[in-house]
Amino acid sequence: MSSSPIAAARRRTELGLIVMAATITGAAYTLASLGKNAVIPPILVPFLIIVLGLLVVAHLANRVLAKGADGTILPLAAMLHGIGYVIIARLSERSAGLQTTWTFVAILAYVATLVIIQRAGDLARYQWSFLAVGAALLLLPLVPGIGNSKGGARIWVSLGPINFQPGEFAKIALALFFAGYLADHRELIASGAWRVGPFHLPELRHLLPIALAWGFAVVVMVAEQDLGSSLLFFTLFVVMMWVSTERASYLVIGLVLFSGAAFAAWKLFDHVKTRVAIWRNPWPQYSGKGYQVVQAMFAFANGGTGGTGLGLGSPNKIPVAKTDFIFAAIGEELGLLGTTAILIGFLLMIGGGLRIAIRADRPFDKLLATGLTTIVGMQAFIIIGGVTRVVPLTGIALPFVSYGGSSLLANYVLLALLVRVSDSTARRLGETPNELTAQERIKAYRQRRAAAKALP
Amino acid sequence: MNKQIRRLAVALLACYLVLFVQLNVLAVGRQQELNADPRNNRQTERDFNRPRGSIVAADGTVLARSVPTTRGDQFKYQREYPTGDLFGNVTGYYTFSFGSTQLELTQNDVLMGDTDEQKLRAIGGLFSGSDNTGSVVLSMRPDVQQVAADALGTREGSVVVMNPHTGAVIAMISNPRYNPADVAVHNSKRAEEVLTFLNALPGKPLLANAYQERYMPGSSFKVITTSIAFENGVTALDRQFPSTKEYVPPQTTDPIQNFGGTVCGGSMVEVFFRSCNIPFAQLAIELGPEKMVEGTKKWGIGEKVPIDLPAPAASGFGEVSDFTDQLPLLAIGGFGQGSTTMVPLHMAMVASTIANGGVMMKPHVVDATLAHDGGVLSRTTPSVWKTPIAATTAETLTTLMIGVVNQGTGKPMQLDGGIQAAAKTGTAQLNTTGPERSNAWIIGFAPATDPQYAIAVVLKGGPNDEISAGTGGKLAGPIAKTVLDYLFAHPSATGG
Repeated sequence: MSSSPIAAARRRTELGLIVMAATITGAAYTLASLGKNAVIPPILVPFLIIVLGLLVVAHLANRVLAKGADGTILPLAAMLHGIGYVIIARLSERSAGLQTTWTFVAILAYVATLVIIQRAGDLARYQWSFLAVGAALLLLPLVPGIGNSKGGARIWVSLGPINFQPGEFAKIALALFFAGYLADHRELIASGAWRVGPFHLPELRHLLPIALAWGFAVVVMVAEQDLGSSLLFFTLFVVMMWVSTERASYLVIGLVLFSGAAFAAWKLFDHVKTRVAIWRNPWPQYSGKGYQVVQAMFAFANGGTGGTGLGLGSPNKIPVAKTDFIFAAIGEELGLLGTTAILIGFLLMIGGGLRIAIRADRPFDKLLATGLTTIVGMQAFIIIGGVTRVVPLTGIALPFVSYGGSSLLANYVLLALLVRVSDSTARRLGETPNELTAQERIKAYRQRRAAAKALP
Repeated sequence: MNKQIRRLAVALLACYLVLFVQLNVLAVGRQQELNADPRNNRQTERDFNRPRGSIVAADGTVLARSVPTTRGDQFKYQREYPTGDLFGNVTGYYTFSFGSTQLELTQNDVLMGDTDEQKLRAIGGLFSGSDNTGSVVLSMRPDVQQVAADALGTREGSVVVMNPHTGAVIAMISNPRYNPADVAVHNSKRAEEVLTFLNALPGKPLLANAYQERYMPGSSFKVITTSIAFENGVTALDRQFPSTKEYVPPQTTDPIQNFGGTVCGGSMVEVFFRSCNIPFAQLAIELGPEKMVEGTKKWGIGEKVPIDLPAPAASGFGEVSDFTDQLPLLAIGGFGQGSTTMVPLHMAMVASTIANGGVMMKPHVVDATLAHDGGVLSRTTPSVWKTPIAATTAETLTTLMIGVVNQGTGKPMQLDGGIQAAAKTGTAQLNTTGPERSNAWIIGFAPATDPQYAIAVVLKGGPNDEISAGTGGKLAGPIAKTVLDYLFAHPSATGG
């Protein structure tokens, strides 16, 4: 296999950054162990090595399968994942063991995604399948027998011993559908057959599929009381409409719709009212539903600028610290410096994702990268904002950081797609040799065979 | 589409900037407010997993220390009180759920290593070691404390021994007392049970009655009345008081009697050592409400005793307006009855003032605070609280108090080895009807010519016990004698 200097440089950068992320994780892990128990729990060390090893495996997969891809987003994910893993290990040794398993599955899914999807553009053909898959995944938790409620939201599915949150995967499926559909129809939608005041409205039949998909997602999420995901889908839809049509009117329409929907939800649902009341003032409900938020505030204050030090705080006081509230645990033990580092990590990942979108030369690739990046960026904002009381709290995982198999798996698949878009762009721009993919070779071989047969 | 994508990047950046601002608000802006919230016990929890310095007595005896717990305990360190209940009312306790008291409260920063100076010192040792705790060294002697406790026995009351020139407290016992180790257990439920039990006890063992409680002083207050009379020139050593059984003060027809209804009188010296009541009632009336109240205020009565321990009590006499229409109350106040109340420590300070030429020192139990390496963080320098009387008046009072020991009610305080003590006794009658109850007092110092120690002893009068039967001298005197004899035999702690 031949290589190019640009691709080689990107992979070298990636390896260097992953080694740095692994070093940070290893050092943080050692500190956390010293702080909590005065000795490093020996059982967990192999698990940590496995996690770090798996991140190197992901890098090796990029070397073989996505040579020309951007070299920064995987190390950023590795750093977020590593810090999250240390905090999880510090909160619960058992969860750390499980998270190692999830990491294995997630990296496996990452590699599998890169193996199966060799060119990002191939995905556009399956847009309607993705819509069907997304819709089915959204509906799964509502199916009696396998759907489960945890903490009020009915977003879990139990199949035998496996529990997972299909919503984490539905968001990727819907992003794929939106990207595919809008890439095909964006000009039709943007042209605006109707003119109402300052707004150009498209013909309804062009808008209908996407509006239905969005409406369906939001209604289902509301039925499942999963407000965080509803907000995420809403944002994803509005952003992709706006970027694809290049019409700011969709932002205005989105904002109006959002205000209306938010007000209706507030009027209709008591749990929304409670969330808003706690967001505005959690103190009166300290011993009730506001406890978690107040404890998170205490955690940030206790952490101060430099944090208590890993393993030296009391983040176990915050209910569900290892999932939704993991950011507060980081705030307590690593302080403002640590939380700022996480924020910068996400910002750099957003920057990396949007750079991939800008460099992409095809509408589908552009829209897919934009959509996937929006998902990561908004999901992190929604949960961090909820934990810090910038927005009302809606339970959702912090990508790459929170404990949980579904979230980790889905986010690594998302990452693989971003890497694939980046690699496909690099091939087309000639930054790396545009060799035939394995699938294309097989196809070519069959065609040659068929041609050879056809000829006497 | 690139324009929109770039704008999206800016929009997301703005979102994250909002998060960053809010994080600053929580972690820095509102940090103190949130950390001070009583519902936020993270600080306490952290403290219980950190080492904490010791409180040690003047001779190095450890009074409170933290030791590492065995694995499985809720916290890493357990607070211990090796001297049991002997210093409970000085060290106080240190608990997770119920806060801390006394020195454990006021010296918390030093003990945890959290004072600015300790933090600054710790920077040098950042990589060499993390133990930054400080220790608190007291002026108190555990051997004297033990002698005083033994002399007091199970009786309710206090003994306070001080250095009259520095204000250093040498011993301070408050009976009944408690063992802080019982409260400092990590099992919060158990600790709560112990606290509930202690709070329900009649003698209030959690209250350090030596400095947090007030008792009617009875005749021991005559020291103050006499001093005010001398300061205002309304009496002299050779003044003669008629021998009489009854005295009717103004504004009443109800006569005042001497203790036990006896006939009592004679020279100033004689009425002082015989502890007649009527002459001191007359002196108070002669002084009048204004001078009397002004005089007591010079002694610090009405102000909280300025000891370096939390929540001290204030002695009480009254305001001018309380007496102008209530002269009989002023009259009986002259011999420490009525509304007069004194903190035992304050009475030790009164004795100290006479021993110290009329200068009243601020009392203190903390001699020094030390950093972990033994370096001195702070040392208590003796300081004057008040100067209630002139040196000549102090000299006169010393003469009167020597008379009390040699010829009067204070004979039980005559010391071994011919050391001359000066004292004043008191028997405060607590009720006029029903079974008789009295507080037995003695205050004094020794040697009279070159005072080294001042002492105050009070035994609280309960119904139908031996305190009520005797006068202050007979009950409190032997306790003071025991303690002072021990002190002169053991001028410095020998570890016994």
